[in-house]
Amino acid sequence: MKIVKPQPNNLGPVGWIWAGNYKLERYLYILHRITGLGILLFLVFHLTATTFFRIQGEPVWNAAMSFLSNPLFKAGEYMVAVAFSFHMLNGFRLILQELGFLMGKPVPPIYPYSDALRRKRRWTMAMIGIIIILCLIFFYDLVLGGWQ
Amino acid sequence: MRRYTYLWLMQLITGVLIAVLLGIHMVMQHLDKILPFFGVNLNDPTSWNSMIERSRQGIWAGIYIALLAVVLSHALNGLRNVILELTPSARTQRVVTGSTLGLGIIIFFWASYVPIALLYH
Repeated sequence: MKIVKPQPNNLGPVGWIWAGNYKLERYLYILHRITGLGILLFLVFHLTATTFFRIQGEPVWNAAMSFLSNPLFKAGEYMVAVAFSFHMLNGFRLILQELGFLMGKPVPPIYPYSDALRRKRRWTMAMIGIIIILCLIFFYDLVLGGWQ
Repeated sequence: MRRYTYLWLMQLITGVLIAVLLGIHMVMQHLDKILPFFGVNLNDPTSWNSMIERSRQGIWAGIYIALLAVVLSHALNGLRNVILELTPSARTQRVVTGSTLGLGIIIFFWASYVPIALLYH
């Protein structure tokens, strides 16, 4: 008799970035993780700047601010704003899904079948729309401020 | 293992709190060129004078320390979740939990010193 061994349910570190043939929501999960870790990395730099430089008084603070106002850091700040918008809106979607608010009413199983993923997809699309609007608002402010 | 499931509930609650507190922070710092259109003028929130004026008010010190606490708990719990997705041994899990907790407490006391010190600047 052939013994069928179960597949190991763990890809290791590859599972952090590999989603294969899964749908949009699985890729949003990866983006959620990447933006989360990116914001955590930014937090380390941000806390360094706002503690060590701020506590030393006005000249050190002004020097730090003029160093941080070159276009490279401006672009980095904008990426943090984009990551924040995505992580917040996707987090709201995950909380609403987790607590069962996006379930919808139960429907009889008549062909064509409606599954939970497809019924929740419209919320996902609405979320992506709001993220794009937020990113455009942040970009408008960046343009108004100028790249100095 | 069951007590760690409360960490997930904490992740949801701190997530909502961060959306409020970090929302204030981001609107103030990043939308300061749009806000005058709505009648709010912050005149360059990253300048020393504007910063020190905010630092002298207790409400802002409270907001910054609360934001620091919820952000650290949310971020380090998220980092713990990412690492534990590798399903390491129970001993490694305890080490990861302990080290993220210790790191969070150290960063909290280091960074919350500044808003308290600047209250009397």
